[in-house]
This record gives sequence, C-alpha cells and structure tokens, in this order.
Amino acid sequence: MELLSSLIFMLVIAAALLGFVMLLALILVLAERKVSAYMQDRVGPRRVGPFGSLQTIADAIKLLLKEDIISLQADRKLFILAPYLVFVSSFAVFAAIPFGRNLIASDINIGILYIMAISSVVVLGIIMAGWASNSKWALLGAMRSAAQMVSYEIPLALSILSVIMLVGSLRMQDIVGAQSGGLFSAQNRWILLDNPFTFLAFFIYFISALSEVNRTPFDLPEAESELVAGFHTEYSGMRFALFFLAEYANMFAVSAIAVTLFLGGWSGILPGYTFLNGVPGFVIKVSVLVFVIMWLRWTLPRLRVDQLMSVCWKYLIPIAFFNLIGVGVWILIFD
Amino acid sequence: MRAYFRNIYAAVSTILIGMRITFKEMFHPSVTNQYPYQYYFEKRKNVRGIHKGFRGQLYIRMEDCIGCKKCAMICPVDCIYIETSRLEKGITLSDTRAVVRLKDQTVWIGELLEGDEKIEPGTVVKLRDLDGNLHESPSEHVEHVVTSKKRRLKLDRFDIDMSLCMFCGLCTEVCSTSCLYMTQTHEFSTYDRASLLFHFADPSIYEGLTPDETETKAEDGADASEGRKQKAARRRQREETA
Repeated sequence: MELLSSLIFMLVIAAALLGFVMLLALILVLAERKVSAYMQDRVGPRRVGPFGSLQTIADAIKLLLKEDIISLQADRKLFILAPYLVFVSSFAVFAAIPFGRNLIASDINIGILYIMAISSVVVLGIIMAGWASNSKWALLGAMRSAAQMVSYEIPLALSILSVIMLVGSLRMQDIVGAQSGGLFSAQNRWILLDNPFTFLAFFIYFISALSEVNRTPFDLPEAESELVAGFHTEYSGMRFALFFLAEYANMFAVSAIAVTLFLGGWSGILPGYTFLNGVPGFVIKVSVLVFVIMWLRWTLPRLRVDQLMSVCWKYLIPIAFFNLIGVGVWILIFD
Repeated sequence: MRAYFRNIYAAVSTILIGMRITFKEMFHPSVTNQYPYQYYFEKRKNVRGIHKGFRGQLYIRMEDCIGCKKCAMICPVDCIYIETSRLEKGITLSDTRAVVRLKDQTVWIGELLEGDEKIEPGTVVKLRDLDGNLHESPSEHVEHVVTSKKRRLKLDRFDIDMSLCMFCGLCTEVCSTSCLYMTQTHEFSTYDRASLLFHFADPSIYEGLTPDETETKAEDGADASEGRKQKAARRRQREETA
C-alpha cells in the first residue's frame, strides 16, 4: 500500500512535469520564431491566434495528424525506440532541477551527477536513430553528434566540477543554498562572481552546453545545408515532434542548470527585492539564458567539423583544466 | 602561445560584434509587407509602388474601338477574339476621341485642339479632356498623338483571354485609336480558367439607334452612348407630346 501510494505520487509529479515540458516547448518554439524574425527584420508568425500565439499548437496538431513513416529498410525496433530514448533522457533531467524552495521533483544527494549521467543517454538515442534509419544523412549526423557530444562532455564536466569543489555538495538545493546572498553580497554571492575562475567556468559550461544540445553554432548533427536534417532525416509526424520537443526541453534544461550552478538558482537576484525570490526570479534568469542561446543561433554560422573538434580539444579542455586547478588554489588560499 | 591567445581574443571579440548587430537589428521595424492586407507602401521608403509603364491586365474603351482587328492580328498567342458587323445603312456613330500620350506615360483623352499624329518639333499639342479641362504640352514631351477616327463597324464580340495573354503589349502599340491599353491591375487570379476570358463587347452602345438619326454625331465629347440615350429619350418625349 505504501509502495502503491508513493508510485501514484511519482506518476502525478511526472505527469505535471511532462505537462510543463510540453507547455515549455510550445512557448519556446514560438519565442524562437519571434526572436529570429525580429533579428532578421521580419514579423514572424502572427496569423494563428493573437500575435501568432497559437502557431505552435497548430503545428503540433499538424504533426500529430501526419503519416507515420517507417522506412522498410530501417531497423524497425531501434527506429521506434530512438525518439523515446532521446525524449525520456532529456525529460528525466527535469526531475533534479530545483524550481523553487520546495519545487524539486527529487532532491537527491547526487543531483548534478544524475543530471550529467542521464543527459548523456541522449547520445545513445541519437546514434540509435541515425543507425536505425539506414540512411547516409542520418548516419553521418549521428556519428558527428556522437563525436561532438562525447568530446564536449569533458569541458562541461570540468566546469561543473569547479562549482562542486566550491560548494562541497552534489545536491542541487545545496548548490542553490550556497548562493543565497544574491548578486553582490560579500558572502554567499552567485558562484559566477565568486572568483575569476568560476566566472570563466560559467562560459566554458555555457559553450559546452550549447554543443551538448546541438544548437548553433554547434548544430552539426542536424546541419540542414549538408545533411538534410541529420539524425532525424527519416522521421516524420509525431516521432519527429519528439526529437523537436527534446531539443527545446534540453535548451531549457541546460539554461536551468546554468542558472542553478552559477546564477543563484531560485534564490533572489538582489537582497531586498523579495518578489524576485523563488520561481519568478528563476524563470527570469532562465529566460535570459534561453534568449542568449537563441540570439547566438541567429548570429553565428555553423562551425566546420575540424573547427568543432579544435575548439573543444585545443581550447575548452585545456582552459577548463587550468580553471579547475585555479579554483582549487583559490579555495586553498582564500577560503 | 601568443597566437593561441590572440586567436581566442579574435573569436570572442568578433562574436560580440556579431551579437551586437543582431541585437540592434531586433529593434528595427520589420520590412515585411503583409501583402494582401497591406497593399500600398506609402510609408515605406525602400519599397516602390507599381511603375507607370507597368503592363498589367488589358482593358479596352469600347466606345473608341473602330474594329480594325489589328490587335487580334498582331497578337503572338491569338488571345483576342473580335467579330464585327456593318452598321445598318444611315446609322453613324460618334467619332472616336483623340488620345495624347506624354513621354512620362501621362495619357489625355478628349478633343484635340492643336497638333497632329505627325509630331512636329517646336509645336504645341493642345487637348480638351472629357471634363472640359484644357491640357497642353510642347511636342518634345509628347510620345504619340492619335487623332479622332470614324467608326464604321459594329463590334459584336470583343473577347480577350487573359489566361493566354503573355503581356507583350504589342496589341496596345498597334491600336489605331489607342483605346486598347494595359492597366496596372495584376491581381486577377480566379479559381476558374474560364473566368479569365473577359468580354468587352457592349451592345448597349448601339441600342436606341435608328437609321434616320443621321445627325447623332456626338459633339459633346462625353460618353457617347450616354449622350445618345439622352437624345433618344428626349425624342421619344417630343413624339408623345405631339
């Protein structure tokens, strides 16, 4: 009985999170289209609903009604499984993201480690999709994606490690608690501003995270101009929509993690402005980061494969290592 | 080592330049024209309207057509269909109106007071239009002059199939009375190909004409059929009172 009730409780939370992610994707897709439109002096969607607000819903309905094509040459089981794997692993990240003081689905004591682990499963799903499609575009996209995501996980982990060293805990709420002072206070200020090395770590994290979620300028796995659509070339209808959903869910998750680790999470921005504490402040910070991700996408061209690798192995990883040592020395000397 | 850091600096600074540009661009007004809803572009400097010489949908002023069929003959795609018949004996129609076209594509229609089809340099072309306004222009500015012609044929059919038309404008060039011309209308798409066959023949022009009415040469310049109808009405009234 105890087990059953806790199972139901978990299902309710999962359903709530799923609803949140769906809503998020609807908003973010529209936001992205609007941002890109304004940056290119266009007006963006505005026909469906007031100011085009229902455009994504219309698109989602269209995708639902589309024919579900599974190529005869495809590896049927893997082909069907891949989008679920990608979506589930990017969805599972939300379980450990603290939205507010008590708004966290599961405050496990290895929160950030769990996030790192579960988000790596996305690579598996993408390779599975590329392989199962039995198409050269998809396979090339998947291979690129694997190389990219595996490489960029290193600087990502190293930059997160510097935060963990500083806080001394893997628990997400502890990391937020260590930054409860806000932006400028002497004690417990944002980890971003704690010392110059963590400041740098934030940018390393952000660049690697961009690459992890396959966003421009690191969108080689789905480079339209070269690979049609990359790993999801052969997918149609709702299966494609799952990849799409996962991309936007990832974008939010990555920004939310950046906010939690470096920008104070749900704790307030400035002491005294209590209305910015909790969920509103969190949402504002995450929205700003999401906007920056979109902003970068509509500004920068895509990197070449060799450039991608050189950015990671020649620049990010050495700097991240140096940075990690720097944080360690800083802690030894000043704390 | 220096090159390494210079490379990082170059990458970061150029990314920031690009981001500044895109951010600035976000606050520029959009250049989109919401086409069917926002049609004329008065407020936009960078978008021009339709030019004066634009070749759009064909239109013909039937009351000036003499039925010479030159347009149908020159049409490369044979999209103009004309059928004419002789007028009954004793019936005369009003003369066609003169047309003056200037080099800036302004067109005046009406009664020619001075000037000729052969444009002599140094002379003046003068024309009174249908509203009675007087226009004049030195002959250097005039592209062509079409003097008034006699109408001897009745047009039973004047159809233009715009689905075939290739908008070359040859028919308007050869038109004897300059009554066939291209308008600026370019949005006449339909759901049905048959509705692109435009019928211009207007039987009402020839209504109410009786053979003894020889004097009905419209001196008034105004719409000929309208004038004739009024005259016929007046005549009928006179007969009733008598």
